[in-house]
Amino acid sequence: MVGKKGQLKIQQMIFMLLAVTFLFILVGLIFLSVRLSSLKKTASSLGEENAMLLVSKLANSPEFSCGNSFGGSRISCIDFDKLMILKDHVEDYGDFWGVAKIEIRIVYPNEGNVICSKSTYPDCSIIKLLDKNVNTLPANSNFVSLCRKDTNGKIIFDKCELARILVSSEDKG
Amino acid sequence: MLTKKGIEMSFGWIFALVAGIVIIFLAIFISTKLLGTEQETTSAEVGKEISILLNPLETGFESAQTTSITIPTETRIHNGCDLIDTFGRQSIQLDQKTLNQWVKTNVNVFSSNKYIFSNSEIEGKKFYIFSKPFQFPFKISDLIYMTSSLDTYCFVDAPYDVEEEISNLNQANLLTENCSAANIQVCFKRADCDINVNDNGEYVEKNNEILYFTGTGDDSKALMYAAIFSDKEVYECQLKRLMLRLRELSILYINKEILTSSQGCDENLGADLNTLGNLAVGLNNSVDIGVVKMQVDEVSDKNNVRRCLLW
Repeated sequence: MVGKKGQLKIQQMIFMLLAVTFLFILVGLIFLSVRLSSLKKTASSLGEENAMLLVSKLANSPEFSCGNSFGGSRISCIDFDKLMILKDHVEDYGDFWGVAKIEIRIVYPNEGNVICSKSTYPDCSIIKLLDKNVNTLPANSNFVSLCRKDTNGKIIFDKCELARILVSSEDKG
Repeated sequence: MLTKKGIEMSFGWIFALVAGIVIIFLAIFISTKLLGTEQETTSAEVGKEISILLNPLETGFESAQTTSITIPTETRIHNGCDLIDTFGRQSIQLDQKTLNQWVKTNVNVFSSNKYIFSNSEIEGKKFYIFSKPFQFPFKISDLIYMTSSLDTYCFVDAPYDVEEEISNLNQANLLTENCSAANIQVCFKRADCDINVNDNGEYVEKNNEILYFTGTGDDSKALMYAAIFSDKEVYECQLKRLMLRLRELSILYINKEILTSSQGCDENLGADLNTLGNLAVGLNNSVDIGVVKMQVDEVSDKNNVRRCLLW
């Protein structure tokens, strides 16, 4: 009779310990998921902040900027010729800018929605420079001038068009 | 006759004791771990925030830009650099003071497109930052100089252009006059100061170490400031990273030349840019910068006589 009572007590203790352990695990999991979701939100908002601050300055970075190629220093001016070369080498740049997507769209004169490639250049209007194929937050954009060298067969001249640069960060939330 | 005195404990008491002890130890263990994780998270968030806040320092027409960052708690910023991947990486790691004790974290925030020149460890609440474009011969990047408000630099006998630039920056910890003995003396005509700059020899001497610099164009002093504000380890590593970017930009310009030649533009720089890229990537330390500079001058001269400027 005493032995059976003892066994029952041990079983009770095991059940209680298991219950307490599960309770701890459950509370821990809930806390971790809340914390992880808040961390993801922070990471996304930091990424968006990066994209927002980057978009206004990206045109002046050496990989994009016109420099003095088009007669004197120009601010917010992207060298279209350089951009097409950069597009071919973009895999070397990987996470260089810390954003998920960079796209440049010619706004004026509008030449339709032809995506720029070696075969369509320069008669195109959308340059998909970087696309990591991930979920992205809404793009931040800035107006820039997109300049290139052109010729009519006799003289070489600078041709500049109005464009928008769009930068999107990854949506981690 | 022998009497045994003892406390009789019921099962309930034993269970409560065992479970209580386990729960208390678990709670202490978990909260210690969580506190550590929270500190690492905060450190990573602040590090990333600093890295992001440096984006607006990209210069356009300006020859320099200045700003400051204030962090609510006493912070140590560890400035690191490595040569991993195509462009190498800038790393920032923060330690913050909690309950009057420094809490070390091991979270590094990396970025490939930033070049921060500072001592490998700077401490304080307020940090001054200014940036200058580095052209060699085309723009390579903006160099970011970070100093703590606790360190005041006094520029003694600086050339007119440096003195004017420092005054125009209006940065509270960079002085050209009214210096005190506690300031870090940066001398241009003497050799017995904390930091000695030899403008003609193009080197900076500090802590018995020599850092060579050079430059071209209007902002030829960008590397000189880099050598003044950073220690040897940071300077040499960031210089190598800049040379890695120079090589990648050279490749872009080589291909741009080929592309624009179909429009009738001249084709005279391909081989020289290729040599420049190879020299840059072969740079062992700042002593070799003069060799790269010779090629930079040659490339720059050839670009200036082109019908279509490449940069």
